[in-house]
Amino acid sequence: MKIEKANAGFLTNFEVLDFLRSRGAKTDPMGCLGAVAASECKVYEYLLKTPACNQTRESINEFVTRCESFKLTNADKLNVINWRPSSAADAYAMLEECGKRFSKDERGEARDEDERVEEFLEIVKEVFPPPPPKPEEMTE
Amino acid sequence: MFVLSQIEHNLPMPPHLLNQPLVDAIKAELERLFLDKVVANLGLCVSVYDIRSVEGGFIFPGEGCSTYKVSFRLLMFRPFVGEVLVGKISGYDEKGLHVSLDFFSDICIPGHLMQYGTARALDGRWMLKTEDGDELYLDIDDEGSIKGDGLGLLAWWAADEEEGEEVEAEE
Repeated sequence: MKIEKANAGFLTNFEVLDFLRSRGAKTDPMGCLGAVAASECKVYEYLLKTPACNQTRESINEFVTRCESFKLTNADKLNVINWRPSSAADAYAMLEECGKRFSKDERGEARDEDERVEEFLEIVKEVFPPPPPKPEEMTE
Repeated sequence: MFVLSQIEHNLPMPPHLLNQPLVDAIKAELERLFLDKVVANLGLCVSVYDIRSVEGGFIFPGEGCSTYKVSFRLLMFRPFVGEVLVGKISGYDEKGLHVSLDFFSDICIPGHLMQYGTARALDGRWMLKTEDGDELYLDIDDEGSIKGDGLGLLAWWAADEEEGEEVEAEE
């Protein structure tokens, strides 16, 4: 075995979900037999519980164009797309040195970082659909 | 969380698969070899993404199978440093917490990498003492996210925004 490229590209959770879906993964335990392996089904079930479950290719593209002014790295974008931060605490965890980087706007002028984080979260909220309610919340 | 890895492999094709179309047979054989296995320095193989090229088909002397040179891409689970993952706590011991991602449960967070102020309670659970003296417990089946240098439960953040930020600031 020869590893040609250890990293031939990162995939977002959505892309993995889309790929597994196209291969015929289902949540039904019996439906999995034959078409895909049990381990693939487990990954599929896990991903269905993440914000990736209702994203689309268009919404991700839109997010990438709209967040250009924030000068995010690819790793930052990946974290945000995968987990859809909904609060400032989430954003600080997902973006490296968020406070320092968000204290300047695209022209290098000083800005209030909290305002800028709010602005960023607003974009995330607009672009990505909210996660579906969990089953136990619906029964309440 | 997931990356593609491009690999080239000399694949012996066992004769019992010869009744299938070549690509299907190769895919089945690759899945048997790699699926759900950890490849050293690459990560956990989730799926065979695609087959890029198939060459050869040599039969080596003394062997009952043809060997193909196959170039393919695998879908690997390999988190990078600084990535945020969300998982469930599956257990704890004196060293730290065990976290499960449903499909991958071999994650261990040692005590010294948790946030400052995290200690073990008398009953053995891990907890975080906040500045106001509150004790936040890390319970089995709680959801949280792992970060490079700390850990927090989603519920702490969701419950109280102020508190969440405090937890962040402590890192």
